[in-house]
Amino acid sequence: MRYSANWLQDFVDCADVPTPVLVDRLVQTGTEVERVVEQPGAPAGVGVARVVQLERMPGSHHLWLTLVDTGDPEPLPVVCGAQNLALGGLVPWASPGTDLAAVGLRVGVRTIRGHGSQGMLCSPHELGLGSDHEGILLLEEGAAEPGTPLEVLVPPDRILELEITANRPDCLSHLGLARELAAALDRRLRPPELAPPPRVGRPAAELVTVAINDPSGCRRYRAEVVEGLTLAPSPLWIQQRLRAVGIRPLGLTVDLANYVGAELGQPLHTFDLDRVGGADGGVRVTVRRAVDGEPFQALDGGERRLDARDLVIDVGGSTAALAGIVGGRASGVGPATRRVLLEAATFDGPSIRATSRRLGLRTEASARFEKTLSPVLAALGGARFVHLAHRVAGAAVRPGPVDVEPLGPHRSVAIPVTASGLGRALGMPVAAGEAATALTRLGFEVTTAGDALTVTPPPDRLDVMIPADVLEEVGRSLGYERLPPTVPGRRRPALVVSPPAAREAVRDLIVGAGVDEAITVSLTSPSAQLALRPLAPPSPPLAVRNPLGPQWSALRQSCLPGLLQAAALNQARGAERIRLFEIGRAFWGASPSGLAEEPELLGLVDHVPAGEAVEAAARLRQLAALAVTVGARCADGPPEVRPQAVAGLHPGRSAELWAGGRRVGVVGELADGPRERFELRGRAAVAELRLDGWVVAGGPRPAARPLAATPGVVEDLAVVVPARAAVGPALAALRSVGIPECESVRLLDEYTDPRLGPGLKGWTFRLVFRDADRTLTGEEARRLRAAALETLAGAVGARQRETA
Amino acid sequence: MTPEALAELAARAVADAEAAVDPAQLEAVRRRFLGRRDGELTRAGAQMAAAAPAQRAALGRAFNGAKAEVEAALDARARQLAASVDTERIAAEWMDLTRLDESWTPGRLHPITRVLREIEAIFRQLGYAVVEGPEVESERFNFELLNIPAGHPARDSHDTLYLSDDVLLRTHTSPVQMRTMLEQPPPIRIIAPGRTYRRDNPDQTHFVMFHQVEGLVVDEDVTVADLKGTLLTFARSMFGHEREIRLRPNYFPYTEPSMEVDVSCFLCGGAGCRTCHHRGWIEILGSGMVHPQVLRNGGVDPERYRGFAFGMGPERIAMLKYGIEDGRELTLDDVRFLHQF
Ligand SMILES: [Zn+2]
Repeated sequence: MRYSANWLQDFVDCADVPTPVLVDRLVQTGTEVERVVEQPGAPAGVGVARVVQLERMPGSHHLWLTLVDTGDPEPLPVVCGAQNLALGGLVPWASPGTDLAAVGLRVGVRTIRGHGSQGMLCSPHELGLGSDHEGILLLEEGAAEPGTPLEVLVPPDRILELEITANRPDCLSHLGLARELAAALDRRLRPPELAPPPRVGRPAAELVTVAINDPSGCRRYRAEVVEGLTLAPSPLWIQQRLRAVGIRPLGLTVDLANYVGAELGQPLHTFDLDRVGGADGGVRVTVRRAVDGEPFQALDGGERRLDARDLVIDVGGSTAALAGIVGGRASGVGPATRRVLLEAATFDGPSIRATSRRLGLRTEASARFEKTLSPVLAALGGARFVHLAHRVAGAAVRPGPVDVEPLGPHRSVAIPVTASGLGRALGMPVAAGEAATALTRLGFEVTTAGDALTVTPPPDRLDVMIPADVLEEVGRSLGYERLPPTVPGRRRPALVVSPPAAREAVRDLIVGAGVDEAITVSLTSPSAQLALRPLAPPSPPLAVRNPLGPQWSALRQSCLPGLLQAAALNQARGAERIRLFEIGRAFWGASPSGLAEEPELLGLVDHVPAGEAVEAAARLRQLAALAVTVGARCADGPPEVRPQAVAGLHPGRSAELWAGGRRVGVVGELADGPRERFELRGRAAVAELRLDGWVVAGGPRPAARPLAATPGVVEDLAVVVPARAAVGPALAALRSVGIPECESVRLLDEYTDPRLGPGLKGWTFRLVFRDADRTLTGEEARRLRAAALETLAGAVGARQRETA
Repeated sequence: MTPEALAELAARAVADAEAAVDPAQLEAVRRRFLGRRDGELTRAGAQMAAAAPAQRAALGRAFNGAKAEVEAALDARARQLAASVDTERIAAEWMDLTRLDESWTPGRLHPITRVLREIEAIFRQLGYAVVEGPEVESERFNFELLNIPAGHPARDSHDTLYLSDDVLLRTHTSPVQMRTMLEQPPPIRIIAPGRTYRRDNPDQTHFVMFHQVEGLVVDEDVTVADLKGTLLTFARSMFGHEREIRLRPNYFPYTEPSMEVDVSCFLCGGAGCRTCHHRGWIEILGSGMVHPQVLRNGGVDPERYRGFAFGMGPERIAMLKYGIEDGRELTLDDVRFLHQF
């Protein structure tokens, strides 16, 4: 919200406080300052003038020939194009030579279509006083004598743009902010002038009756009847203050309501009593919920359909306003208005907020009401309005008001605290006296009895209800900079060994293997998910009900689509080798808790550009090794690789990873379909592993064995096997089947050779046999070798290769 | 044969040995003087038998001295020649070690992971456990138990993605506070890192998905000063030991009092620069004393216990710490970006 320092000055002396100090004090006490704008006053050379002659320029549809009294003996001719001039009105006149810096114009003596024009009449925009450039700034009668420098009426100002937190609607007003400022600067707060006007005529209650059908929606409704208020220009100081805070002046009645809103924080609404009144001139105001489907024509012209949750102001049987948000078209004040029904009410915040959001109608009034205002403000705002209406416009106020509070008047609750308790919570000693002083400066009533304080917040501070709220007021007043920095120490909770340590080990392992870490958005399009989600159950992805766009409309079931999209982006940006991984949750459908099953997945993608088929095959093998290594490092032994066609992967180049009787992952080359779907050229090796409950369990505890001192026997074994025999089961068989002396085994070579015969290939294994207790004899070594051959024959149908 | 002649012979042999330019020449010198049958020195030795017995002893000593001298010279020269051969081989084996093996390039951790690890390391040292919670969360845990009932204005700042009426994507990791309190009695000292979601159109500082680290301490004697000291320790560990912090009163529904925490600008030291918007301070986290109602909702007696909580955004910290101007870089996984970390 925007605040005028000149306006604040009405309530607290702050004109002498330099801007940086002002900002610092506000920030330190909890008011966020977005910026402070120095607003110059009216430009030098501009004075008040009276239009003493006004006629159309012959032959022009829009230009006026005027004579203006500028305070000099002779009126001066000025040509003017604005359409809001009135004969006898007071306007600002810029003398020749004046610099209008706001519009970059130097005023001169000119001839327009043959007519001399000395100086010019100015709009607020031209004077740098606001954005309004549609008409000349109209001054109220009696504002000043012609010839008075406008600077006297429009002095320079400072505009504070502040962000007020949702719990402090009391600060959405100049008076409320002034109270904060007074406390922050340790200065006295001056209350607003509220001298009641003389009340004349028949009592308002004879014209207006108020019924509140829904006390939960409307805590208070206070009506006044004011006569003699029009939409004539407001006094310049009112106009200027409204402009300073970003409100466009629209004429006295409306301006006064807006003025009080910005000044005291109470939104006011004005109805034209003669438009809403019945035949006898009296009206019945009913605050009620709308009927389902009830139409409403707002001031802005749009028609809305209301429902039973919306609160409306019914006047004389028709819907005159959407309560707390906007008035109706048929009930508002206009140029013909002579009698005004003033509404100063207190509506329920959540109700206003819900209607405002649902209808997309956000106004100054709704922004205040939705934060829940104190009913005390309604009385204050109403009183201030009638005071100003009388003082500024001489309006006649009917005896009143009509004031309905179905639940009784608001009472602030006294909160008991102790200074020692405040000190214990803050972590520094607090004296009862200083706490009381701090609270009193903020408008609290405090009674002190030794250590005990009884604290009653000001009636508009609905946010202060419990001792913790008082703690905040005292803490921010004394200043958190006074607190010693300590850390909680005495008792430490028993530490849980958190699983993420194992996850980080996986991350480091993969990064060490040359793969970059990606973090892709867990939100995705359903079609991308359905293209590749090898581990997920067949249920469709969980859908977001109110997505920002189709690309974020579902929860992912696999990391791979996101990684492939990232790879495609990198490919499009010219990267040549893209290796990415991600560790994160996937969402596999509803869980028994009513939320979602959220397995933690590791996704791996290694993209090889087109034309590198050999490299791609090598990469796929590396990626498979990496996936198995991740498993072996962190779980109970390496997972088993089972060749198996996997949806979305190349059927001859895909496998499942199994551990502990569970499928824990897949690895393979991306099939053509998903590859084209993700717009990747070349080939991509992908793998996905489920980490939760398996890898991040922390892995087995290593067990050490004594190193054997006896020499080992190295035996190379050349065998012939079918061309599509898989080496994994062969190695597993050699490792695990009944040869206790077999210490290690690895595949030394795999080759094809026409001499082997059709459909066959050759393997050479290197085995190391060792007995920890004694040296093996040559005969024993031959026996072990034969046993190994027999094992291979059984596992994969291998036979020994005949040596040529 | 005289001792003088032997000395002269030895001197000649030494000179020849030293003049040899390669092992073959040196071997020729050895044969010429020490050859088993016709080496000049060998033959001189053979002549000793013919010398007068009175001279034999002196001659014998002279011969042994000469032979030792020659052998020493031959060996020394042999070592010299061998060394020069090594020198040539070594020179020929020169390698350019500035040419590194590019097939071995480790990958990079995402900057968010780096920041999360730093945060976790700092708080683990302070005795915090790392706790995680679901990303798909109930409205009850995400809002209601945290003092944000339906219709509360604070919901405006949490543009929420819903899966159903009461199931949503968590908008902060604060629900983990509540889950922890309900699972474990005080004392509690945790941080809760994780992914969070908002219905925010992405721009330089807004994300559909981002990370948050929430912290919670609950114990009998926790104070606002403890909150301040803890976050000062964090700020200095994260941003440098000269940093100061300030607590600015603010509002969060789940804490009372609430405050935002600014750290003195680590680029300008507080003098004012573009990064700190010329304020000298940079907002890094929100914090406060846990609201008594929130403690009660978590099954903790607010008459006996107090707590503080804080929440920070790793994206924001990464942007500040690494000078990332456009936060969208953090979401694209462009390898050129990742390789900067
Ligand atoms: Zn700075």
